[in-house]
Order: sequence, then structure tokens, then C-alpha cells
Amino acid sequence: MANDREVLREIWEGKVPVCFQLDPEEVYDLQAPDPFYLMVPRLSYFPLCTDKVRKHFMRHVQQEGQDKPENEMWLEFNGIPLKWHIPIGALLDLYHNDIQLPWNIVVHFRKFPEDVLMRCNNKEIVESHFLSCIKEADVLKHRGQLVSNMQKKDHNQLWLGLLNDKFDQFWAVNRKLMEATSDEGFKYIPFRCYISEDKYIQRLVKPLLEDGHRKTLKHLLNELFPNEETASVRTHGIIPSLDAPLQWLSEHLSYPDNFLHLILIT
Amino acid sequence: MAVYEAGENSSWRLNIITQLRDRNKTQTHCYLDLISLHNRLFDNANTLRGENLQLSIANEKLRTEAASGVTGTGNNAALEAKLLAQADELTMLHRRRGEHTQQIVDLNNKLQEAMKELQLKESSLADKVDINNVLRAELTRYAAREKELENINQMLKDEHQALQLAFASLEEKLRKAQEENRQLVDRLIKYKSKDAEKMNEENDNFLNESFTSPTAFLMQTISKFGKRQAKMQKELEDAARDTRTASPDRGGTLEGTAPVIPSSLPTKIAMKFNAHEGEVNAVRWSPTDRILATGGADRKVKLWDIAKGSYECKGMLMGSNAGVMSVDFDSGGNYVLGASNDFASRVWTVADLRLREVMG
Repeated sequence: MANDREVLREIWEGKVPVCFQLDPEEVYDLQAPDPFYLMVPRLSYFPLCTDKVRKHFMRHVQQEGQDKPENEMWLEFNGIPLKWHIPIGALLDLYHNDIQLPWNIVVHFRKFPEDVLMRCNNKEIVESHFLSCIKEADVLKHRGQLVSNMQKKDHNQLWLGLLNDKFDQFWAVNRKLMEATSDEGFKYIPFRCYISEDKYIQRLVKPLLEDGHRKTLKHLLNELFPNEETASVRTHGIIPSLDAPLQWLSEHLSYPDNFLHLILIT
Repeated sequence: MAVYEAGENSSWRLNIITQLRDRNKTQTHCYLDLISLHNRLFDNANTLRGENLQLSIANEKLRTEAASGVTGTGNNAALEAKLLAQADELTMLHRRRGEHTQQIVDLNNKLQEAMKELQLKESSLADKVDINNVLRAELTRYAAREKELENINQMLKDEHQALQLAFASLEEKLRKAQEENRQLVDRLIKYKSKDAEKMNEENDNFLNESFTSPTAFLMQTISKFGKRQAKMQKELEDAARDTRTASPDRGGTLEGTAPVIPSSLPTKIAMKFNAHEGEVNAVRWSPTDRILATGGADRKVKLWDIAKGSYECKGMLMGSNAGVMSVDFDSGGNYVLGASNDFASRVWTVADLRLREVMG
């Protein structure tokens, strides 16, 4: 049961400063616009908090064809387009070594990298992605019973809690999803272990060992990477102890989409 | 197991929580204020820019206006003319106001008059309503009286009818009485004619006998006289007994010359009836009618109508408290006097059989 409110609260409040800058090649004014600084929550997604950024830079780019779908805003860091469907915190952990706070991100309005990024015209797309992640996680945890029994209004509450950064609103519903059905805990632990930015491992892993003892993070890493002796993972900007049990981690350190986003460091 | 876990838990959990706190401290808290300040400044700059733009536009507008407003002297005359016109208008308005006040006063007077009239009308209306009510009450009273009169009328009609019936019956009685009277007159005429016949016969006889001898004539005369006597007697008897006819003709011839003194004792019973329960103490004829009054021990006086051999009880006079010892009529046959054993005498009227007087 996800009852360690202290941990949950600390995780929820994790935010990072981001400095958005317009790509100099796309500037259409005499002088380049000021960079836009913003605190973004680690648990959120970029399309949910960049409304102001778009509004700010919109005035300084070429006016014609601005509303066309191919001229959608996209973000880039160090020459790599940032995937909006990965939570911001996971992106931070992925590029941890290169990032110096505040995180400098370049804003683009043109040349959308169709081959790398998915289109994201509005927030409904993010919502459906988010809810499908939750459903996937629930299928792994409880064979999908909880999510399918929920009402539309509960789904809405989850989404609005995330969108408006309301901890209590979100966890009022999410708590049910984090309940273990039996003493054994979840059926499988929903997690994604990123090796690089576009490659991750996802497997069926039970929270208990054969002999009934709980699996820890160490067991998981051994299972995933039998050859790596000194493997460890980063999530939420920290490197959790390898002794931490998987069930607990899943209940407390999951992102709002109910997945553990672990980034391998060797 | 839980305790074991708790012990073990604390180390990795503590580790995680300190890491998270460190993370938040270094990454979040130290930038939070800075970024929010930056955002505020950014917003301020934006608003100021907008304001600046607006102000410059306004400034431009004012400047153009100022440029066009240089020709101010021409304006003055126009304004003065306008002022004059306004003053004229004001005086006119004052005048109109005076007129209006006058009108208002007139209208007020009219209104008062109308009010007075209205009051008058209202009072008269109230009077009329009162009169109306009174009349209506009278109407109901009269209706009631009419009904009463109708009832009385009905009653009188009924009475009239009853009287009519009584009248009819009385008339019937009268007719009967007249019939009887006629019969009696007939009988009288019959007797008279018979009488005349007899007289004629006698005359004839006398004429025949007078020529034989004077003695015989005398004898004849005497016998004739005797015959006449006998006839008178017979007639008297006839009157008394009605149907009975005695013929003393032959006797007259036998007795000869001696004048006959008429005397008669009643030898036959003409009729017999039980008048009273008990003794009959007194009997008396009425001096005028064929009415017999009897007094009996049964404390009653009875009146009997005796005619043509039949008797009929005409009435019973009551009131005596003991046997009646004697009765009598007055001379006109209208009253009956009865003396009773109760030490009292009583007088009744014959016509309506009422007790008139008690003398004790």
C-alpha cells in the first residue's frame, strides 16, 4: 500500500528550472527574444506546461502559416528532439550527465522531425496516452480489473490532478490503483528500464522470489542484466538503494502513469 | 516479518528520502524564487510594454487634436451666438412655465368642483339606496299580507261553500214543508166540498117532507136539528180522531126530540208507545201544534209529534237531576216548563230544544 505520504509528497514536489530559448535561425524579429524561464514539475509532460512558452515565442517567428499543423512547436536539447510522451523527470534522468541547471532547451516551430517525434496537437492526445499507460500498468498489476471498474469521472480526476498539479486530487483515485490485491503484492511490477533515450527494457517481473521473499532492486537488475555486476539505476533524480524492495518502489516511486521509469547507469 | 522489514526498511528508505530531499533542495528550492521573480518581471515588462504602446497612441491622437484645435477664435463667436440662443430659450421656457402653473391652478379648481359634485352624487346615491331598501322591505311586507289575505279569502270561500250546502239542504226542507202544506189545503178543500154536498142533500130532504104534514114537518125539523147536532158531533170526533167516522144518524131518529148533550169518553186506544224508561209522570198537549210533552222518572222531558196515527220523537229535553213530575207549555207553545223532584223547575225552548232557565 502506498501509505508513505512523506515520500510521495517529496516526489510530487520535484520541479526543475528550465530555460527555453528560441532557435536563432527561426527568429523573425530584429533582435532575438528573451529566454523564457519556467519551473516544470518532474512528473508532468512537456505539452502540459509549455502554453506560456509558445505564447511568448509566437510573436517572434514568421507569422504566416503559424497555425498549420506542420508548424507545431517542438523542443530540442543538445541537438536531440525531446519526446513529449516521456515524463519530464525521466528525460532529465536520461540526459543527466549533460544537463546543467537551469536546463537549456531550444524551442522550434519549423522542420518538425517527423521520423523521431510523434505529433501532439492538443492535450487530449497526451490524456489518452497517459490513460493508456495507466491501463497497461493496471493490467500488469491487477489484470486490469481496477481501471475497468472505475468510472469516467475517476479517470477524469486522475488526469485533472496531474494537469493542475493537485496532489490530493490525484492520489484520492491513484491510491486505489496502488493497492495490492493480495499479500503477495502486485501480479507483475510495471516498469521501464531505459538503456538509452530510445531503448528500454520491459519484462514481466513478479514482486516475490520463488521462496516467498520479496524481490529487491538488486534482484531485478540481476534478472535484466546478468552480465553487469555493478549496474544501478537512476529515477526521480536519485539513485535508490539496491536493497529497496520492488513492491515498495512500485507503490511509491512510480510516475503518475503508474510505471517505474528506471535509467540504467553503468 | 514486519518488524524485521521495518528494521531493514529504515536504511534504504532513509537513503531514498535524503536523496529526494537533497534533490529538491538543489534542483527546486534554490531556483523556485528566482524563476517566479523572473516570471513576475517578465509579466510586468509585458504589461508595461502594452501600456507604453497605448500611451504613445493616445499621445499621437492628442497631438493631432491639438493641431486641429488651433483655430479657436472663430469658435468663440459661435459659442456666444449659441449662448444667446440658449438665453432666449430660457426666457421662453420661463414664460411657458408660468402658463403651466396657471393651467395647473385652473385644473385644480376644476378638480375640486368635480370632487364636490362627486360627493353630492354619492350622498344622493346613498339616499336612493336607503329608499330602495325601505321600498323593498315594504314590498316583502305587502307580499306577506297578500298571502295572508289570500288565505283568508280561501277560508271565506270554504265557509261560503259550507253555507251554500246548508242553504241547499234548508231549501229542500222548505220544499217538503210546502208540499205538506199543499196536501193539507187539498184535504181541507175536499172536506169543504163534502160539507156542501151534505148541506144540499139535507135541503132536498126538507123540501120533500114539508108538504106531508105540519107535525111531521116539525118532527122533521127537530130530527133535522138533531141530525145537525149529530153531524157536528161527528165532525168534532172526526177532528179528534181524524179518520174515525161516527154515524149517529140513526140514533138521532131513535132518540127523538130531546136535545143531545155531546159528551164523549175515549174508549179506543188510538196509539200506544213507550215514552220513557219507567213511569210517565206528566203529559201535556201543546196549545198550538200537535205536539205532546211527556215527563218521566228517567229525568227526561220528551216532545212527541203526533200526526196521522204515527208518533215521532221530536226531541229530548235533558237537564233534570231527578224524575220530572209535571210539564206545561206556555200560551204560545214556544216554551216548555218541567217540574222535577230535584227541587227545581226548568224552562226549555221548543224550537231548538235548549235549556233556557233553571229555577231552584
